[in-house]
This record gives sequence, structure tokens and C-alpha cells, in this order.
Amino acid sequence: MMAWIESTGLATWVRESPSLWAYPTILTLHTVGLGIVVGASAVVDFRLLGFARRVKPIDLSPLFGLMVWAFLLNATTGVLLFIADATTKSRQPVFYVKLSLIFVALWCTFATRRIIREETPDASPASASSPNGARLAVVSLLLWAGAITAGRLMAYM
Amino acid sequence: MNLRRWIEVGSVAVIGMVGLTAVPAIAHHSAAPFYDATKKVSAQGSVTRFLFKNPHSFLYFESSDDKGQKTEWQIELGPAASLTRTGWTPETLKPGTAIKAEGQPSRAEGSHGMCCAKITKPDGSPIVAGGRVTEEQQPPR
Repeated sequence: MMAWIESTGLATWVRESPSLWAYPTILTLHTVGLGIVVGASAVVDFRLLGFARRVKPIDLSPLFGLMVWAFLLNATTGVLLFIADATTKSRQPVFYVKLSLIFVALWCTFATRRIIREETPDASPASASSPNGARLAVVSLLLWAGAITAGRLMAYM
Repeated sequence: MNLRRWIEVGSVAVIGMVGLTAVPAIAHHSAAPFYDATKKVSAQGSVTRFLFKNPHSFLYFESSDDKGQKTEWQIELGPAASLTRTGWTPETLKPGTAIKAEGQPSRAEGSHGMCCAKITKPDGSPIVAGGRVTEEQQPPR
């Protein structure tokens, strides 16, 4: 199955094309998408931890839409990078660690969005710095850092 | 210490750790976990296989010593996209091509791997000339 995926025309192009528009561009977009997803998520998380108190958490909610688009970019480029080397990547435990961390981190992001949206617009700015929000923010930051670490370790383990 | 202070201290610690692992600017990531940069190894032989691919290419060649004992070597190279800039193609090193290579030995016990190798024809002349970048060493970038 993995060998077949790897032998498809698309996978072969990603793996063997000498063009800068193939592997290097896909990997670059994967990194840019990562920057946006985790960057936007970190902005929200740090707000919930008490940074930039003058910003109302609800005003940050458009960032979630941005995260979705950037995540779709990363899911797409991630699949392309995976299929190019499917037999190896599918056997790497650290790859499944990475996917699990991303899955739980996404759940945290949705939970954070719920907390922020449930806040009434005229509530005091400090209200979304609830203990729950702050705890979720710490977990989210750790999960994304772990996912990035696991992803980077795929080159070594 | 309050939460914010912890975050500041933690962030500085993480940035510091990343700084400590700084790698030579030419390398996309360090080869040090796999290859020993303090040692050199060299061999001469004929190409058996050339995997021209991203993110790393591999060149296999076979050398033989005075007693006829054969050794298969594996050289880890840069991505297809970078090798192309030196003028190399998948056809540049066909099986049977005679080469000479000097590089850093693999840390794996009993293996015959090298990276960051300077690969030339047996007489020391370049494999190909006239690429967009000079063919020098091929680090696993």
C-alpha cells in the first residue's frame, strides 16, 4: 500500500523533481503554514495568559478562520511530503507522535475558540483570562511545541 | 514568580538552547548526529546506484582493496533540487562510473557511509563543470 502510494506519479514528482518548485517549495509552504497556524494560536494563548490585556479576547476570534486556511495548506503540503516517502514515514513512530499531538492541539484550539466566543462582548477584558482559559493556553502552547519538535525529529529518528 | 515571568524565563531558555545547536550556515540541518565531522575517510571505486531525490540523494559505490575485498559505500548527498544546480542529473553517475570520494565517516558501527563528500573523477577532476553553483562538497542539506 505505502509502496504503491510512493510509486504514483505525484509522489515521484515530489521526490525526484530537480525543480525548486517541487520539494523545496512544498516544504517552504509547509513551514509558512506552520508559522501562521502556530503563530496565530500562540497570539490567542498568550492573550489568555494575560499578555496584551487591553485587547478583548473576542476581538481575536477572526484569527481562528486564518488558522483553518493555514491548517488546510499544511494538511495538503503534509500529504504531499508524506506520499513522497510513504514507506519510511509510515514506519516512523515519531510521525504518529506528531500527528497525535497535532490532533489534540487542534482540539485545544476549538475549545479555546468556544471559551472566547462564549464571552459576552461587553464583558470585562479580564474575563477570558479565566483559570480554564489559561490552563488550556499552556497546554496548547506545549502541544504545538511538541508537534513541531516531533516533526523536526522525523529527519533524525 | 508570576505566570508571565515564568513564560519569559522559559522563552529565553528555549531560545538559548536553540542557539547552542547552531549549525554551519551551509547546512540545512546538522549532519553531526550521523557523521563525525572530526574525521575524514576516502575511497575510490565504481558507482553501483545513484538515488537522485529529495530531500537527500544517495550515491552507492563499490571499492576493492589489494586483496580484492569489496566494500559498498553509501554517500549521503543534498537534495535533487540542489544537485541540479551543480549541473548533475540522475544520469551523471551511471553504474560503472569510476569515482573518488572523501568525506566524513558515518558514526554507525561497521557501516561504510559518508557525508559532506568531495566527489571527483579518479584523477581529481570535477565530475561535471559549468553548473550554476560550483561543484565542491555536497553536504546533506
